[in-house]
Parts: sequence; structure tokens; C-alpha cells
Amino acid sequence: METILEVNGVTKDFSPAFSLSGLLSSGLRRPSATRALDGLSLTLTKGSTLGILGPNGAGKTTLLKIISTLILPDKGSVKVNGQILGENDERIKASVGLATSGERSFYWRLSGRQNLDFFAAMYSLGKKQAAERIKELLELFGVTYQDKRFDSYSTGMQQKFALMRALIHDPEILLLDEPTKSLDYASSLELRNFIKDVLVKKHGKTVIFTTHHMDEAIDFGGIFMILHEGKLFAYGTLEELRAETNLPTASLGEIFVRLTGGAK
Amino acid sequence: MLRKPIAFLKKDFLMESSYGMAFLFNFFGIFVSILGYFFIDRLFGSRITPHLEEFGVNYFSYVLVSMAFFGYVGVGLGSFSDRIRGEQMQGTLEAVLVTPTKISTILLSLTLWNLVLATIDMAIYILLAVFLFKVNFAHTNILSTIVVFILTILSFGCLGIISACFIMIFKRGNPFGWIVSSLEGLISGVYFPITVLPSWLQLLAQFLPITYAIRAIEFSVYKGYTLVQLYKEIGFLLLFIIVLLPISLCLFKYSINKARREGSLAQY
Repeated sequence: METILEVNGVTKDFSPAFSLSGLLSSGLRRPSATRALDGLSLTLTKGSTLGILGPNGAGKTTLLKIISTLILPDKGSVKVNGQILGENDERIKASVGLATSGERSFYWRLSGRQNLDFFAAMYSLGKKQAAERIKELLELFGVTYQDKRFDSYSTGMQQKFALMRALIHDPEILLLDEPTKSLDYASSLELRNFIKDVLVKKHGKTVIFTTHHMDEAIDFGGIFMILHEGKLFAYGTLEELRAETNLPTASLGEIFVRLTGGAK
Repeated sequence: MLRKPIAFLKKDFLMESSYGMAFLFNFFGIFVSILGYFFIDRLFGSRITPHLEEFGVNYFSYVLVSMAFFGYVGVGLGSFSDRIRGEQMQGTLEAVLVTPTKISTILLSLTLWNLVLATIDMAIYILLAVFLFKVNFAHTNILSTIVVFILTILSFGCLGIISACFIMIFKRGNPFGWIVSSLEGLISGVYFPITVLPSWLQLLAQFLPITYAIRAIEFSVYKGYTLVQLYKEIGFLLLFIIVLLPISLCLFKYSINKARREGSLAQY
């Protein structure tokens, strides 16, 4: 199978932003950095689904932002779709679609369609090509409110637009940061089925998602990665994780709690 | 090639036009500002006019052109940092930066709308000046005026990009914005000719590009100076661009990469 993502020994520290109050409260000493990722390595083949699990602050979003070129690692290397991060970033960006759970990443005074039009242009889609792709995505997601202002949409609808934007340039890899965070149960189920059946099975996309919900991760299936305090605690299918932890009948949630000590 | 800049322009137009009253208030703002200088001219114009002998105009005509022109300087200087900060605060900067769009394209496209607005403002100034205040533009050398405009935008654009670097790294605190809004406005001849200033301030003004830009625009508009006659002013602006353009672009690339290392692209 063709390798689509290689992460080798990636470490990322975040220094607190400089502030006078922070400097005074730390006794004029430079505040220590927080390690978001600690020597992380992983390899992923094309068409896989990888679920990144971890408590808050585990480094899940940092990893997605590194893969999408928004953050540069301090140590280690990342290769996405054959392109090295820091050298061929434009090509990496063209092969990656990122959907975050932050709905503020849209222009609220524009309609959903106008937003998609704008981002289609940013992904170098021609006018006609963009119109066809937007029509296709609107049909795929069953969206009919595309001409209303973005700030009038429900959170679930905004999340759908985040996914449509991530898919607009038909990327090889889809990065989903808590994709069902704001969705009700039915919408969440619908979205998960769409990702599994249409994006992965039918179109062969590689999907990397983060979540706090074990049921959701199991439903997506594929490979799981448990991160805690920036370190990789486990990596593999559910069966591999069970074998690794000597818990042959354990659920993913039980394995997670065992490995992270129940961290939230 | 132009698809991305046009998409930015369209997006900014749609967003700005959704604030219906802004256009109207902008027009009234310009009208009130011109009216203010018209009355200042009636009060003190006769005292300032001798200082404007080299331009051959009265105070009102002088300040009208320099004020309209100063709007363009503001675009070059302020729009880069303002627009980047705006996108950061809206939360859309990361969404744009994650697309395969060159940083230089994003930077230039972000300022296009401000350029269009500044041009509309300029047109309003000129229309009001011609039809309401009967200012005479019969001697204007169009070619020189356009060249000075372009050089001014480019030279102040370099400073604007440097000021955007401050926004990328420090999020707030823009020393260049302060310089143009206070220091340059005061001593570079925007509101009054620099000959009214004490000699030490006049000396300082000689080192500021806006001083040359204002002189060049007044000469080309009111005296019809050709490019050759404006060689000193144009030469200084060109020198400024040649030195600052590569520096500003390198600094911006550095500031973006620093923000990517710190994970602070979207922070404000």
C-alpha cells in the first residue's frame, strides 16, 4: 500500500506569549514552554482512517495543524503525499483539506455559497469548475440554505460547510478536528456514514480525525492513535491495541482509560 | 492568475456592502473634512499662501490635494497590517493560509479593496473640489500624477508590509502606523507646507518619503511638472522602493514562519 503520511520524531513546544503580567508573576524568569508533541512518529497508508484520541491538551489539534502546514515542528520531519513539510508546502496544502470545529473560520456576513466560492478560488478552481463542485457538494450534503447569511446557520449547518470547504478541491487527505462536536445524534450518524461510505470506501480518501468520543471512533473504524501529553501511547487497530495492552476483551474506552490513567 | 485577487476583491465588496451606511458616512466624512479646510483657508489662508508660492496655489487647493493623496499613503501603509489583523480577529486567516495561495498573493489581494476605496475617496475629493469649490486642475500632468501615485503606493506598501510583520509577531503595537498618523502627517507637508516649520523639523522632513511624494503630487497637479522636472522626488521614491521592497518581503516571510513555529498565526 502507498504511504501517504510519514511523521518522524516530531516534537513541538509552545512558549507562552510574552506578557508583562506573566513576566512579573514568574519572578522575571522566562516562563517554561509546554510540550504539545514529544517525538511523535507514525506512518499512514493511502485510503486509511486514523482516529486520534486523547484528553484535552494531548496534542491532537497540534498534529493536525502541523500536517496542514499551519504549524512548523521544532524537531522531526513530516512528509505528506510525498512532499516534505517546510519545502513543498504549497503542494501539501493542495492535497490536504482541513475542517476545524471553529465555525468562526468563515466570513459570517457572506452566504454559505459565497464563502465556498471564495475558498474554491483560493484552491485555484476555475469559475465553472467551482460552480460544478459546489453544486455537487451541496447535493451530497443535502444543503438547501446556501444563499442565506452564514451567521444565520445552525451550528450543525456551519459544520457541514466546514466539511464542504475541506472537500472543495477534492483533496487526498481529509483532516477533521472533532467533526461531530456540535452535531445532534442523527446528523452525527449521517456524517460518520458519509465519511466512511462515500469518502473512504467509494473515493479512497485518507481521513484523519480527532475525537473525545470512543463510540464515534469505533464507528469510524480503522486505526486508532492514543495521545497523552504529546506522547504516543498506542497505535493500531482495536485488535492490535487489545493485544498490546493484554486486554483481549476491552473496549476502546477501557484501553484509553488504562493507558492515560483516566485523564480528561 | 487574477482569479484569487478578484475573489478577494469580490469577497471584500460583498462584506463592505453589507454595511449599507458605511458608504454614506464615508462620503459625508470627506465633505465635512473639506468644508473644515475651506473655512481654515478663509481664516488663515492669506498667511499661509506666501509659503505656497512654488506650487502656485492657495492653501485650500494645496491641502485638498495633499489630503486626498494622503488617503493613498494610508492604503500603502496601513492596509496590510489592518487587514491581517482583521482576518485574525474574524478567525479566517488560518482558513486562507491553509489554501495553496502564495503569501505575496494574499498580502496584495488583501489590500485591493482598500485601494478601490481610496480611489473612490479620491474621486469624491476631486468632484467636490471641482464642482463645489471651483478648484482648477487645468494644468495637471496626468502621466506624472499617475507615476507619483504608483511609486507612492509601492514605497509606502513596503513600510506597510513591515508593519504587518509587527502584527504577525506582536499582534498589537504598530510603530509605523503611529509614525504615519502623527509624525509624518505633522512634518511632511500634508496639512501645511514644510516651510512653515522650524528649520530643524524641515531638515527631518527631508528624510521622509512622504515629503517628496506630497511635493511631487502638488507640482504635477498644479504646475503640470513632467517626470523629468520631478527627477529628485521620483528618484528618492524609487530608491526607497529598491531598498525596502526586498527587505519587507523577506521580513514578512520570516514573521509568517515565526508565527507558524510559535503556532500563533490565528492569535490576536
